[in-house]
Amino acid sequence: MRKYLEIAKKSFQNNIVYRIDYFAGVINTLLMIFVNIAIWKAIYEEEEVLGGVQFKVVMTYIILGFLMQSIFMMEEYLIESKITSGLISSDLLKPLSFRLNIFSYNIGTLAFRIIMQLTPALIVSIVLFKLLPPFNLQSGILFCISAILGYLVLYSINFIVWLSSFWFYWTFSIITIKDAVISIMSGALFPLWFLPEWLHTFTKLTPFESIYFVPISIYLGLLPYDEIIFGIVKQVIWLALLMIAGHVVWKMATKKLVVQGG
Amino acid sequence: MQQNNSFSSMMALFFRFSKLNLKSALEYKFDRFFLAFAVFCREMVSIIVMYLILTRLIRIKGWEMNEMFFLYSFLFLSYSLFIFLFTGIRDFDNMVYSGELDRYLIRPLGLMYQIVASRVDYCATIGHGVVGIILFMKTATNVGIDWSFKNITYYIAALVGGAIIQASLFMISSCFSFWAVKTVNLRNLIFFNSRRFAGYPISFYPGIIQKMLIFIVPFAFVSYFPAQFFLRKPDLSMFWSGYLYMTPVVGVIMFVVVYRFWLFGLKHYSSTGNSMF
Repeated sequence: MRKYLEIAKKSFQNNIVYRIDYFAGVINTLLMIFVNIAIWKAIYEEEEVLGGVQFKVVMTYIILGFLMQSIFMMEEYLIESKITSGLISSDLLKPLSFRLNIFSYNIGTLAFRIIMQLTPALIVSIVLFKLLPPFNLQSGILFCISAILGYLVLYSINFIVWLSSFWFYWTFSIITIKDAVISIMSGALFPLWFLPEWLHTFTKLTPFESIYFVPISIYLGLLPYDEIIFGIVKQVIWLALLMIAGHVVWKMATKKLVVQGG
Repeated sequence: MQQNNSFSSMMALFFRFSKLNLKSALEYKFDRFFLAFAVFCREMVSIIVMYLILTRLIRIKGWEMNEMFFLYSFLFLSYSLFIFLFTGIRDFDNMVYSGELDRYLIRPLGLMYQIVASRVDYCATIGHGVVGIILFMKTATNVGIDWSFKNITYYIAALVGGAIIQASLFMISSCFSFWAVKTVNLRNLIFFNSRRFAGYPISFYPGIIQKMLIFIVPFAFVSYFPAQFFLRKPDLSMFWSGYLYMTPVVGVIMFVVVYRFWLFGLKHYSSTGNSMF
């Protein structure tokens, strides 16, 4: 356990080094929120209520979506760079689980983002953009649980995609396509009830909805109690399935590994 | 050695470069095709979001779907043109760090000519270009534009102007690499965010963002004003009407000023010392 904590600490410290990137990241998140609110204000100009949802609620949805995206960003090319540089062979020889190694690295980055980026962005969002508080205390707590599960689901999807670098020299394309699919289907950019009926039904059958849409809906109090429980159970089931899939792909990948020198 | 810089030989060399570029791109056919497709998907996200919102709403602030897409098509087509011509400027930082620039400096040809001619990123050109062409084809005939000779001329001038504006923005950041200051991340942040903002009519935004998009990162001249030249939506009254004709002017002025600065930086350039190539 201590070893993995140490890796997480290293990745936390790594992030501190790039100070300009850090400030740029915070400003970027706030700017994106600011501009998207302006667009949604224009959309709501003609009608106060759309699809039975008030502007205030949609605004909170958008803000939360961007805040969550800003901390859910991961090191997409970590495994690829380890494979192309050959460092993976020494990583596999270490008395550490490679998968936990990568995971703790990302957890370190996540901790950095929560403490250093989310905190200032959250304060500005509350003061300047009038972010609504959670619907009630219970939905606040369930939101936190659901958001953690959302992160883990996203991580498991990402991990499987990252493993494709064992087969392909270049994973930029496949990662970019994955990002495009997730940003539409997960409700990161807009509430999913804006999707056409058939597509919305389809997203309910995919793990993507679990990443952003379920937690944010819980936060806003849009779901009745039994649907909240159903949503969280679905997240857990998806997480389990994706972890099994990730395990299978990992077993296949390690058998396949070819290192060219190093 | 006899230096031969006549126009025809420059053009011949340009085509030779292009041919080599195309050959090297086609070396990995599947990979390149997949990359172009990935760029296409990434760019379609903002279009799909806009489409989903507008099917519910019909119009936002008097702008209909086709008109918004027409505005957006300027961004994609001019970016595609910019990448086709100025890939070298986009990758300039990298050329300096890898030492590749040194190779260009010792060749008996103009540096800017080599940067323009020697590199083309076909994947990005096609990825963005296809989105732009789809949007243009879908909207050009049903937003009420009379495609007269005058309008076609303006359209082409606006695209070229927009491409030059974007090239100048990238060149500003490449200037800093002469003093070993890395601005790529900052540049991408400012450039691609501003570009995303410019996908919607700038009249949607608060005054400060409008001013930024007109005076600081002039993306308003890439998409909003050229589109308004054709559409003349009522929110144009917020701005000076002369802006409509300014796209090529802004492009040329920016490019000249930035190019001067770039040449100044080049004088102060000292090599990073080793060439990887």
